[in-house]
Amino acid sequence: MPDRAMPDWSDVPKWLLPRPTLEDREFWEGAGRGELRIQHCSSCGRYQHYARLLCSHCGKQTLAWVTASGEGTVYSFTVIRQNGVPPFDERVPFVVATVDLDEDGARLIAAMPALDPGEARIGMRVRAAFRRAGDEFGFVDFVAAG
Amino acid sequence: MQQRVCIVGVGLSDGPVTPELNGVMLEAQAFRRALDDAGLEKDDVSGLASAGYGGMHEVALAEYLGLTPRWLESSSVGGSSFEFHAMHAYRAIQNGDVDTVAIVYGNNQLSASGRTLGTGGGGGGGRGGMALPLPMAYEFPTGLTLVGAYAMAAQRHMYEYGTKPEQLASIAVQTREHAGRNPRAMYRDPITVDDVMSSKLVADPLHKLDCCVISDGGCCVIVTTEERARDLPHRPVYVRGAAGGTTHHSIAAMTDMTRTAAAVSGPRAFAEAGITPTDVDVFAMYDSFTYTVLVVLEDLGFAAKGEGGAFVTDNGGNLRLGGALPTNTDGGGLSGTHPGMRGLFLLCEATRQLRGDAGDSQVAGAEIAVAHGSGGWLSTQGTVVLGTEGA
Ligand SMILES: [Zn+2]
Repeated sequence: MPDRAMPDWSDVPKWLLPRPTLEDREFWEGAGRGELRIQHCSSCGRYQHYARLLCSHCGKQTLAWVTASGEGTVYSFTVIRQNGVPPFDERVPFVVATVDLDEDGARLIAAMPALDPGEARIGMRVRAAFRRAGDEFGFVDFVAAG
Repeated sequence: MQQRVCIVGVGLSDGPVTPELNGVMLEAQAFRRALDDAGLEKDDVSGLASAGYGGMHEVALAEYLGLTPRWLESSSVGGSSFEFHAMHAYRAIQNGDVDTVAIVYGNNQLSASGRTLGTGGGGGGGRGGMALPLPMAYEFPTGLTLVGAYAMAAQRHMYEYGTKPEQLASIAVQTREHAGRNPRAMYRDPITVDDVMSSKLVADPLHKLDCCVISDGGCCVIVTTEERARDLPHRPVYVRGAAGGTTHHSIAAMTDMTRTAAAVSGPRAFAEAGITPTDVDVFAMYDSFTYTVLVVLEDLGFAAKGEGGAFVTDNGGNLRLGGALPTNTDGGGLSGTHPGMRGLFLLCEATRQLRGDAGDSQVAGAEIAVAHGSGGWLSTQGTVVLGTEGA
């Protein structure tokens, strides 16, 4: 599946930079070094994103950070054609997807800047792609797999 | 013994465009009109509910109105807050904790902020350097908008059930017909499915005309005991059942985007009222987007899961006056009034219908009405069943 010419999403305005909290610094730092960090629960065996103190599936406090495969499937998507907030106003149209990671129970919302909006499909296989967000952190985008 | 509970007064502020009135002025205007409608004065009100601003708004509003209520309620769960207020007032009045409650909301969102079509920020996110609450911190940098969140849910429904954008569009068309009968509606000229389909795509599959308007406006609904209602001028409208719930906050956590908490709140409220979906004569539904209506029609059991699209277009349009389920007979949020949150206006229109006061949009002989609010990103759902005395 052809990706369109990668639009330049590299310029991240200061106000859009992550402001890590006690709970999610690991996620943003992981993305900065090219790893998709999520939590795994040793009680129920499921995974979750975003980071929390307790497992949202079983409620136990038995979570540990792991690096996800970065592979997933599009559960749904939309093509954003109007967004009044810079810099997104100049980026439209672009795809935003809800991605079910292969790690059961973990789902995240991600931009797919490189995907031609006409190529987006529910059920398509995708993989994580990382984009710098300042010196320490990163954003997790997705691209078509394969 | 539990008290029966009635709506005895409703009031609408000026609208839908009121540059000369701020939010609290709209609330006060609606409150005064609801008192007049109910034949009450302010000191008859012993409970106050409101939401939509910062913390302690209902307290500030009480002071503004010169009230010293002993019962306060400020559930703030998005646009369905007012169905939760009605539910909680109903329970409190049933149990004798309070006897007369005013539920009030007003906002000059259009005049204050203009129309951004839900595309001004992330799925509920903000900008300008403020720390974003989880999980919006993850959504906002993706460029997702509020419309986009609903659009992803609609897209999933289309994928699972073959729902067509034209079926969503039909909801907007039928609602506009009702707006044409309401001089207070924001947009009144008839539209066609083609008009909706050719309006600008905002976030696939939702077009501009699949989205609610932004207006100014205020509303007030007064709830009291049956005993007191008997002495008041209008035919009382009875609260027959109510329930609410939530499945998620952010759209990413909506495990099944084709099913909302209305699938739980609806059956509970209907069971309490002793009704089934076919008993409902008129439906006031929070139509933030056309998809919101479609998915909740299914969740409440008006149509089987996956058949909402066929339901809205069958029979020449089942949401029309004369259809199986006249819906949003005042023009809804899609064409009528939507000042930031619409939940309270649903209770107002349902009440007017059951009194026989709905003017050119009256559903003849309406005895059972359902007001259903949806808040956030399909996050919170509240169902209130209303009926006439004999129903
Ligand atoms: Zn667990």
